[in-house]
Amino acid sequence: MIGSAADIVRQIGTGARSAASVLAETKALIHTRNPDLNCFTATTFERAAREAAAIDALQAQGKPLPPLAGVPYAVKNLFDIEGMVTLAGAKVNASNAPAAADATIVARMQRAGAVLVGALNMEELAYGFTTENPHYGTTRNPHDRTRGAGGSSGGSAAAVGAGMVPISLGSDTSGSIRVPASLCGVFGLKPTYGRLSRSGTFPFVNSFDHVGPFGASVSDLALAYDAMQGPDPQDPACAQRAVESVGTAPALPPGIRIGILGGWFHEWADPMARRAVQLAAAALSATDWTELKGAEAARAAAYIITGAESGALHRPRLVEQYGDFGPASRARLVAGSLIPSSWVVQAQRVRQAVYREALELFKRYDLLIAAAAPASAPLVGQETMEISGRSIPTKAGLGVLTQPISCIGLPVCTVPLWPGMSLPLGVQLIGAPWREDLCLGAARALEQAGVAKFRLP
Amino acid sequence: MTQVSDNPFEAYVRAALALQGYTFEDAEIAEIAAQFARLEGIARTVLDWPLPFASEPAPVFRP
Repeated sequence: MIGSAADIVRQIGTGARSAASVLAETKALIHTRNPDLNCFTATTFERAAREAAAIDALQAQGKPLPPLAGVPYAVKNLFDIEGMVTLAGAKVNASNAPAAADATIVARMQRAGAVLVGALNMEELAYGFTTENPHYGTTRNPHDRTRGAGGSSGGSAAAVGAGMVPISLGSDTSGSIRVPASLCGVFGLKPTYGRLSRSGTFPFVNSFDHVGPFGASVSDLALAYDAMQGPDPQDPACAQRAVESVGTAPALPPGIRIGILGGWFHEWADPMARRAVQLAAAALSATDWTELKGAEAARAAAYIITGAESGALHRPRLVEQYGDFGPASRARLVAGSLIPSSWVVQAQRVRQAVYREALELFKRYDLLIAAAAPASAPLVGQETMEISGRSIPTKAGLGVLTQPISCIGLPVCTVPLWPGMSLPLGVQLIGAPWREDLCLGAARALEQAGVAKFRLP
Repeated sequence: MTQVSDNPFEAYVRAALALQGYTFEDAEIAEIAAQFARLEGIARTVLDWPLPFASEPAPVFRP
């Protein structure tokens, strides 16, 4: 491990390390650890060398260093990287023209001094929770190579989980940050819908697409989050809000009211997931159980809108190049493009109604807790999983606890707990819209209590 | 094309595929119809959810 982002920034600031030496260590770690995990689909070491040299020049000149000076990071391969083809995990994108510019938040990470070392594997077109990609291979779990990393941002979570980079970026439409963070034992932040710009990212479902960071600590997550905030007129869903910095040490205000989500969120959690929730609740002194009315309907609404929007997005290429799409996604995408409009409109109405229910809940609570995945990491290739006596398809079912929350755009910090002997399982700390500060504050409280923690394999 | 499965949505799927400009073999249509049946099963939760007439969809468009 090359250390936390906060440590790297401090050490480069004092001259104890150079950005070039941190980059050299990172390259060595990627060389050693990536081959059997398959996190990276491309490296960007030439660019990284230029970015690191710029930081070392600033330091040599005694000039102020930016907040992520010299911190190596990598991004899910749906983010535009200038000069590279944006794959989004798909063979059908491989012949596209290279990106003309960085995605907005990649450019912001560069402005903050971070050093981009590569692009990361993902589920094809972000449609699934396993990162068993038919074109670019399976990303494996750093804590057990026989198990999956989760998805769709599996490469992003596993790269941090294996200690190759302290920070990575991913996207979350239905749980694609929270599920792999949960399975790989890292921290992940899915901000409020519209908080971070998606400009320059390959879309999946415009109604639900979010972007956010993974990190090995809450401080690192907060550093990256602050660096990426701010309005962006290029993304029509991006809220035109000023930066609301959380700083490096977000704290939980006294007297915070925390509810533990029961109902749907309890039913679809296996004993280990329930144990993780109990551990987090106890550490936060939360005892009050509550329910989000319409959680099941929100998940169903998300499923329908996801099918319709992703199907419509890809229909022209499905007509022409069906065989170039992976077998797990192509029939689902086509079926989605056939969904009647009345289903979609009703789903969007349900979405708004459940959002109103959530706002009512936030009159009584400041924060809600639920498991981030129904179970710990399934085996690679495992097609179904058993939860509460019911069998569900792994590729879709891993998101059963995250999809209702992203459907209504609430901010969530996922924290890694270790309720069993060796595999992690994440807990969602869910805030009211725009209250990422509380999600991160609770995450930090759990981290300080030693309940949520990053463990190197 | 002939209908070869007992999937109750296959007729709809075949018609909708033609409308959207797709051309598939029967085996592919059966796979798509199976996926559509799964979507329909989940959609039932939403379609039956009671809403007042005043309930609007969640919009994104901001002029």
